[in-house]
Amino acid sequence: MSFASTFYNAVAKRNSVYVSAIFASAFGFSVGFDAAVTSFWDKWNQGKQWKDIRQKYIQEEES
Amino acid sequence: MSTFNVAKKSLNLAPTVRTLPSGVPHASRLNLAARAPAGDHHGHDHSGARSDVPRRLTGAYRSPSAGLVSKTFSTAPPTTNLRLLHTSAVAREAPEVPDFSDYEAKSSSTNRALSYVIVGSMGVLSASVAKSAVTGFLETMAASADVLALAKTEVELASIPEGKNVIIKWRGKPVFIRHRTQGEIEEARNVNWKTFRDPQSDEDRVKKPEWLVMVGVCTHLGCVPIGESGDYGGWFCPCHGSHYDISGRARKGPAPLNLEIPPYDFNDVDGNLIVG
Repeated sequence: MSFASTFYNAVAKRNSVYVSAIFASAFGFSVGFDAAVTSFWDKWNQGKQWKDIRQKYIQEEES
Repeated sequence: MSTFNVAKKSLNLAPTVRTLPSGVPHASRLNLAARAPAGDHHGHDHSGARSDVPRRLTGAYRSPSAGLVSKTFSTAPPTTNLRLLHTSAVAREAPEVPDFSDYEAKSSSTNRALSYVIVGSMGVLSASVAKSAVTGFLETMAASADVLALAKTEVELASIPEGKNVIIKWRGKPVFIRHRTQGEIEEARNVNWKTFRDPQSDEDRVKKPEWLVMVGVCTHLGCVPIGESGDYGGWFCPCHGSHYDISGRARKGPAPLNLEIPPYDFNDVDGNLIVG
């Protein structure tokens, strides 16, 4: 059985399974999308955020 | 049999139009063999007039020396050499359907699965967008970070000796913090709490047995009870005489409920209690 017919029989044959799979993947997609955008943001603003420069100021206060 | 043939012949009329075996339609009284006048043939005999001169119209007259002669040709000469545009469709034996096999899906099951995948991905994206829109709208109603920071109160637990009460202010209300002794803990845990007005075990009311944290508002009418007093060694409300025990449970008087427990947490690293 090919992958296409496996997918159809497993997911798309019943509408209840299909819609549930859509909502489940929407949840996973939003989590993954959020993580991807956050990592991109951190990489783009590297060295500018407080969590990046916090170490510097904490050390100065301690010394 | 012959009579039947005779009857059949008499019943079937001869066709008015028929096609000769050569493909030429046969119509009696129409002379298809009529020729154009000499010299007006186009193309084939180059001895004649040039083919690019304007042709004469169907009816023409000439004026030779014998006088005016009018002549009508039986067949009009063609007006152009090539007739590329025509409105008559070419008759065919059967309708010829173009070959669409290059455009057809190779496998119908793959095609079906692909359609479902595309529709499903659209659904995934729209559901995700809808969820983000709803949560983004709801987040505008949530308290902002500065409000949340003001809504918390921190207490340094090391400054409270054992067996002492501390009253702090949290969101405009007094909060009792009691550092209970071991004897008070045993006293609170050994009573039969199931017979109380508001039955609640001491384990449910504290997170750490030595620290009792309560909102210091009497559940009767909202006075502030007095600590280390009353018949049960806990709190006593002077307004209407409600008695609370060492776990803050209503034991006597008009108070219907135990003293309320606020949400609180221990910060073990700094030794702090965070109320709120």
